[in-house]
Amino acid sequence: MSADAAVPALLTVRDLSVHTADTTLVSGVDLSVARGGALGIVGESGSGKSLTCRSVLGILPAGLRGGDDTAITFDGTDLRGLDDRGWLGVRGTRIGAVFQDPASYLNPSIAVGRQLAEVLRVRVGLGRRAARDRALALLADMGLRDPALVYRQYPFELSGGMLQRVLIAVAISAEPDLLIADEATTALDVTVQAEVLDLLADLRERTGLALVLVSHDLAVVAQVCDEVVVMRDGTVVERGAAADVLNAPTHPYTRSLVDAHARYGIERFRLQEANHG
Amino acid sequence: MLRSVVASRTGTVSVAVLVFVALLAVAGPWLAPHDPLLQDPQAILAGASAEHWLGTDNLGRDVASRLLAGSTLSLVAALEAVAVGLVLGVVPALLSVHLGRAVEWLSLRLMEALVTLPFLVFAVAMTALLGNGLQQAMLAVGVLVAPGFYRVTRAAALPVATAQYVEAAVLAGASPWTVLRRHVWPKVVPAVAVSTASLLGASLVIVSSLTFLGIGITPPTPTWGGMLATDLQYLFQRPFGPFVPAVLIVATVWACNGIADALRDAPALSAERKVAAHVG
Amino acid sequence: MTVSVAGTGWDTAAAVARPARPRRTGALGGAARWLLRTVALTIPVFLFATFLTFLLGAVSGLSPAGLLLGDSATPADVARVRAELGLDRPVVVQYVDWLSHVVRGDLGSSWLNGVSVTSQIGDRLAVSLSVAAFALLIAVVAGTLLGIGAAVWRGSIFDRAVTGFCSVVSALPPFVVAVALIVVFSVLLGLVPSAGYVPFSQDPGMWLTLITLPAIALSLDAVADIARQLRTGLVSAYQENYVLGAVVRGLSPRRILLVHVLRNGAGPALSVLGLRIPMLVGGAVVTESIFGMSGFGRFAADGALRGDVPVVQGTLVVAVVVVLAANLVVDTLLLRLRPAARRRS
Repeated sequence: MSADAAVPALLTVRDLSVHTADTTLVSGVDLSVARGGALGIVGESGSGKSLTCRSVLGILPAGLRGGDDTAITFDGTDLRGLDDRGWLGVRGTRIGAVFQDPASYLNPSIAVGRQLAEVLRVRVGLGRRAARDRALALLADMGLRDPALVYRQYPFELSGGMLQRVLIAVAISAEPDLLIADEATTALDVTVQAEVLDLLADLRERTGLALVLVSHDLAVVAQVCDEVVVMRDGTVVERGAAADVLNAPTHPYTRSLVDAHARYGIERFRLQEANHG
Repeated sequence: MLRSVVASRTGTVSVAVLVFVALLAVAGPWLAPHDPLLQDPQAILAGASAEHWLGTDNLGRDVASRLLAGSTLSLVAALEAVAVGLVLGVVPALLSVHLGRAVEWLSLRLMEALVTLPFLVFAVAMTALLGNGLQQAMLAVGVLVAPGFYRVTRAAALPVATAQYVEAAVLAGASPWTVLRRHVWPKVVPAVAVSTASLLGASLVIVSSLTFLGIGITPPTPTWGGMLATDLQYLFQRPFGPFVPAVLIVATVWACNGIADALRDAPALSAERKVAAHVG
Repeated sequence: MTVSVAGTGWDTAAAVARPARPRRTGALGGAARWLLRTVALTIPVFLFATFLTFLLGAVSGLSPAGLLLGDSATPADVARVRAELGLDRPVVVQYVDWLSHVVRGDLGSSWLNGVSVTSQIGDRLAVSLSVAAFALLIAVVAGTLLGIGAAVWRGSIFDRAVTGFCSVVSALPPFVVAVALIVVFSVLLGLVPSAGYVPFSQDPGMWLTLITLPAIALSLDAVADIARQLRTGLVSAYQENYVLGAVVRGLSPRRILLVHVLRNGAGPALSVLGLRIPMLVGGAVVTESIFGMSGFGRFAADGALRGDVPVVQGTLVVAVVVVLAANLVVDTLLLRLRPAARRRS
């Protein structure tokens, strides 16, 4: 369901399902992301949104398998039919991904700059010097203030917000067409979260990067995405343009999400502050 | 505890092997068909026969009888060494946890120094310089396995000693002895049990190495290691001579390791200890 | 010998006593502090180990008087000789005196023949180090290959074969392996001489042939230990998120193994290697006696059996220095491999 039916979709997911040996965790999920578009997937933990992302990336945890009828097409390539070698040509260079808990997704024993330069050398084919220069430029692009210092620091020396910026730099370094951000801002505090979301929106605008933004937080999704899919218990319960879904939710679950947000969200907090002030 | 060990297949086989070897060691003097020291000049390096089940050695002594006598000595020696190591390792470890930083630093460096010493060279040197006898050898081996006990005891005791519930108990007026008995000891015992099994195997290896070199228990007294050394000199006459003593050593060591592994993996053991801690 | 217990017990123990401070940047400052800390920990260990060694001689009650004067010596004669050699002074004074010579490379002279211990150890050490170094090489290469193979193909037949091999081999004492090797390769097959040593400079081919069996005998249980620790370390490293991160970046499985997993999973195996080094050096006593090599271990054993205290002390000091040096190398490697370990432990 792309915003504009005339533009061929970059990523199309049809009837996605995920199963264990005896139960079905996710079923009947259809998604579509236009080139340069931004899709939000919202749902509480256990709703199947992360498994959906992992299916697209071909990294389902051991013991889980995708359904036989599931079709995932990315820019004309059938991702379900890829072997290990085939995936090497897609991950990193065509689809990038960032996750929650950025510290754990970087090798703790290698300076972060070298991990960024590694992707530039191996996937982009830059030489040692060129990779380093490009890495420094990327780190600066991500709004990191002292790129040369960050370059030689280890993950344990950086804050969560800085790590997520580094991880985004790594994910987009090979200039993919699509970035999947799975709860990428969840572990960050509110101001840092807003900065990282701004960064993602900015990247999309500047480079035409398509986004799939997964979050349990409606506000996060609303800030960046054009379209929203609401998931619960492994199925899609509501979908539509972000503004429509948030302003006029039709499904009771979505309504409860919006209500909860209104009740506990930052707006209410600000309102209280204003009243007291 | 035994039940959890025999729950695994390796554990069962290990226990069976150890029981068999222990039987050999205990009943050896009665089972032996000959005097292990009796030399028969008529039958030198003889093959297996009804008279000599496993043949005879270079002096015409009955190999089967010597192996049986050697079982007793080899096992007793290893047990004694482990007992020495147990005392020399566990006690300083508990003290290091409870007596403050000076004792801690001193015992840590001392144990590090002990592991730095090349094992066998030191055992040989210590035994020989102190008078080349069984007791000296056991002391030497005990000193060398002590760091193994020290390390596991300390690793088990340290988290307990610094845990908040223990601090609370101390604040509530529990004596160090009570803390040790009620909180630390139940955590230390399972860890030490595992080490006892694996270090028993290690001690047997060192004891056998020493007796192989003729140190600690000297010829003509039979030991597994010593017999292997004799067999080595007559390999061309009896190429399969070393087989039985070697198998006995290897099987016993393997069984000790097997029991250590079974104890380590046994979930029942830790549960059992937890119950004991509450009752005790 | 399965004395080593998994993990870096000593490192943790030391770290508990001395909580790690947050690392400040500046490579030089870190290196200097590390050097200082290492020296502060190594020197006491060296002093303790040498003191134990020295104490051994003192406690033995042996003196050159008995050896020099024979059985006919009167107590007065013995006392005179002891006084001449300074053996009537307090042990600590004697130790300091002895140590002051040791640090200058003078290990004293044999009570039996008066020849300098340093010079006697010199050529024999080459024999022992040849075997120990070759054994180390076998242990590292074979242990690494088996461990990596078992971790990469975990659950496969290869993995189970490695596990079985490790279980059996860790119960095989070096001297049993040595005897078995001699029976098979020298007695039954007649491929290799069963004993002897030829210096490398004289006949490199023969040198290699002769040190191969002893090196295999010494290294087998180290191979098993390294393989086992490496497998465990790699399997747990493979479950870390950064591996998934690397997959998502499109890095190849080979690159993920060699650059990312190996680096983080090799720690326990490397620590075990450090603990193994004293055994490789000490095992020389047995292998040299079996394979008829007149090396450093046999020199020590013969000296001990004859009551030649300076020889025993000298060989032990040399062995301790070799072990400490090797441990320093291992520690440095560990730190370079995983800079975060400093913080994490």
